[in-house]
Amino acid sequence: MLELPEPDEQILARREEIAAHLRTIVPDGVIADDITLTAYDGDALTAYRQIPLVCVLPKTAEQVSALLAYSARENIRVVPRGAGTSLSGGALPLADAILVSLTRMSKIVEIDLDNRCVVAQPGVTNASITRAVEADGYYYAPDPSSQIACTIGGNVAENSGGIHCLKYGLTTHNLLGVELALPDGERVRLGGKQTGDGGLDILGVVAGSEGLLGVVTEITLRILPKPPAARTMLLAFHSVSDAARTVGEIVAAGIIPAALEFMDRRCIDAVEAFCAPGYPMDAEAILICEVDGMESEVRDATERITKLARDSGAHSVHECHDEAERRRIWSGRKAAFAAMGRLQPDMLCMDGTIPRHALPKVLSKIAAMSERYGLGCCNVFHAGDGNLHPLIVFDVMKPGELELAENFGAEILKLCVEVGGVLSGEHGIGVEKKGLMGEMFSETDLAQQERLKCAFDIRGLLNPGKVFPTLHACVEQGHMHVHGGKLPFGHLPRM
Amino acid sequence: MNHITPQDENELVDAVRGAAKARRQVELVSAGTKRNLGRPIEADDIVDLSKLSGIVNYEPDELIFTVMAGTPLVQAMAALKENRQMLAFSPVDWAGLYGKEPGNATLGGVVAANACGSRRIKSGAVRDHLIGCKFVNGAGEAIKAGGRVVKNVTGFDLPKIMCGAFGTLGALTELTFRVVPAPERASTIALRNCTPSEGLTMLRKAASLALEPTGLAYLPAAVCRESPAMIDAALAQTNGVALIRVEGAADPIIDKLARLRNVFSKQDIVTLEDDVGDALFGEIGCGTPFAERDTDIWRLSVPATSVYDAVSESEAQFWYADWAGEVLWLALPASPDIDERLRKITTKFGGHAMLFRADKNARARLATFEPEPPARAALSRAVKAAFDPLRILNPGRMYEEL
Repeated sequence: MLELPEPDEQILARREEIAAHLRTIVPDGVIADDITLTAYDGDALTAYRQIPLVCVLPKTAEQVSALLAYSARENIRVVPRGAGTSLSGGALPLADAILVSLTRMSKIVEIDLDNRCVVAQPGVTNASITRAVEADGYYYAPDPSSQIACTIGGNVAENSGGIHCLKYGLTTHNLLGVELALPDGERVRLGGKQTGDGGLDILGVVAGSEGLLGVVTEITLRILPKPPAARTMLLAFHSVSDAARTVGEIVAAGIIPAALEFMDRRCIDAVEAFCAPGYPMDAEAILICEVDGMESEVRDATERITKLARDSGAHSVHECHDEAERRRIWSGRKAAFAAMGRLQPDMLCMDGTIPRHALPKVLSKIAAMSERYGLGCCNVFHAGDGNLHPLIVFDVMKPGELELAENFGAEILKLCVEVGGVLSGEHGIGVEKKGLMGEMFSETDLAQQERLKCAFDIRGLLNPGKVFPTLHACVEQGHMHVHGGKLPFGHLPRM
Repeated sequence: MNHITPQDENELVDAVRGAAKARRQVELVSAGTKRNLGRPIEADDIVDLSKLSGIVNYEPDELIFTVMAGTPLVQAMAALKENRQMLAFSPVDWAGLYGKEPGNATLGGVVAANACGSRRIKSGAVRDHLIGCKFVNGAGEAIKAGGRVVKNVTGFDLPKIMCGAFGTLGALTELTFRVVPAPERASTIALRNCTPSEGLTMLRKAASLALEPTGLAYLPAAVCRESPAMIDAALAQTNGVALIRVEGAADPIIDKLARLRNVFSKQDIVTLEDDVGDALFGEIGCGTPFAERDTDIWRLSVPATSVYDAVSESEAQFWYADWAGEVLWLALPASPDIDERLRKITTKFGGHAMLFRADKNARARLATFEPEPPARAALSRAVKAAFDPLRILNPGRMYEEL
């Protein structure tokens, strides 16, 4: 079970006073009653719930700075939150922490087509970036499944991916700059509309830092011209391993599709029952493959993929003929989580990445685990980059099932690491996987990461209890704080 | 001064621990081709990383490539080429700018200096391709970061911050890159006889066309005349040229070139042989057009729309633009207040300027890297202290206090 930092009784007792002070900073955006706070008691890792101390909804970067400066002064913990769609519990509140919800900072600040970028506040949803520029022929490439709801600020914190990141990269690859409020309220600019910013690539570690290093108050994103053509193909296989092998062969052949998604039998059934996208019912596994670019590029890639798939045992290769059909095929993929959610009351969506060659082996081991744990599990995932999303279904009301499901999930992730992969491809570590960090990193490796955290947040106030298995104070890490521009060991002669 | 050449990671750990214990500052070198890039270091000892060399693991089907950091770039690129693959950020060797023999630069140095070439506009920088690494921090601890799969958000993305850190955060020992299939063809068109204003506008136009260009550069007349590859490409007499490179399989290339000819039909267009175009972009990324020039060299990065104004305000007589205008190479005569002139530009338009080549005194005296506002500078120092608390690794290489 999950371990969170002990709440500070003294802070808990000061709730009214803290809320009153926050109202002086954000007069119309402080929630401090338990009933309304219930709406903010967790994220998409639904097994865990916690009412925050108070929730504050700033509207400006200045308000974010002011409330962080206040919390730093008073030594109060802070948990940043976007739309709360994190699947790893990144935005799970703490009983003694101020929850800072950024959803009211939802303006697109600037659309700069000449420099191919958009400047947005953190609370803008992912999908609305593309919506704002699509009439001009542009789009924003990262497209997490939750893109209608999830915010760009959350995407930066989690380094979110999506279906199209096989070709176009994760958030970090499409991020030009941020304005970051540090835990003491000071704001710094990292990057901008130009390439890089000349100093250390601090932006590179802020992307995907899960709200542990600062609160992003403004974001500059690269937008891309929309490819003139895109074609979606549905490849059906009688065996999971043939489908998995085809994935490797497509990539090994030098083709980088825009998207390459995998779905197994159980998932196909669930999706068909849910929204009937017309997937072949005689398949053990399907691949949905999309290629984009110039018409001739698309044609070239489609022909090569068709041949590769047939040679690897695909019994059906179908090309979508029109936009309506393409949308229907994708609707099934995008509804997969919802469809699985109907099978049992609860679901755990796992997320790990493995080398592509390990797909057949890992999938058969997961099937065996499913038997052993007696819990349903289906596979729907970003096959092109080996990013697995096993969905484990269970019923939290049945005694022991949550624990069983969590153990099942942990065993899958350990297997990912064992075959040369990682604990998270795109959902982050959050609270969900922090206990497993030791599977991948040594104590020394983790201590280095924690010292980086200390460089930003010496008091350890920002989103504590996430990512790292144990909470160390910065002094334990041997961290030397650079204060007022003075260097550690400043008295030593420098030659 | 000791010159220490560790033979493996353990010896490197010992060397750094020894330096930390004795409070001796260390300059990290490998092939040493870029020692004159960045601020000069007066270190107590030199630690030479060039023996930590060799390909550790290459899985072409996984598009994953792991090398020791001292592996020569040419060796790595040859191994990838055998499998028709490449590093997508087009690594560059700047040795020629510093009077060194090209061909010795190592991948560790490429990472430390974030040395990427023309493909950056499509594929990003070194940091977008380094998915995992091992390094020894300033406390002499061997650290592993990142992973060996392309999609990974497990913990902080430390490999990114190692790119372009100039060895100030750690001594790199092992690097894992994602690699990409080499394109069947890469074809370049030249739009001849265009003024700087026209040429830079056309680069931005080309960037908006969904053709995924992998090279977008502009060279004014004065630079065309002197660049060896421009002479080979018969472009030396051109009065300013915009170069646009596109990639793909044979048929799509024909379509892409047709589209470009159509869009730029009013221009004086010539299609170059594939290898001629690649050679041109190779020189552009390596700074070769300025290698023989007896001036300081700056690199200036501003938003693409401000490039033309930035050039004018820099008063540079010799300059060229890469990355659709997002980076400017400027050959400027040394002068005591030159950095102030450039900083006025970066303050006005946003961006950063780096003194890329100058004599040692100038690099010590002028702001070689873009000065940071106080809060940002304090953060950079705190980050440095998180990796190198005693400040013994390449101290002062980027900023005096870093």
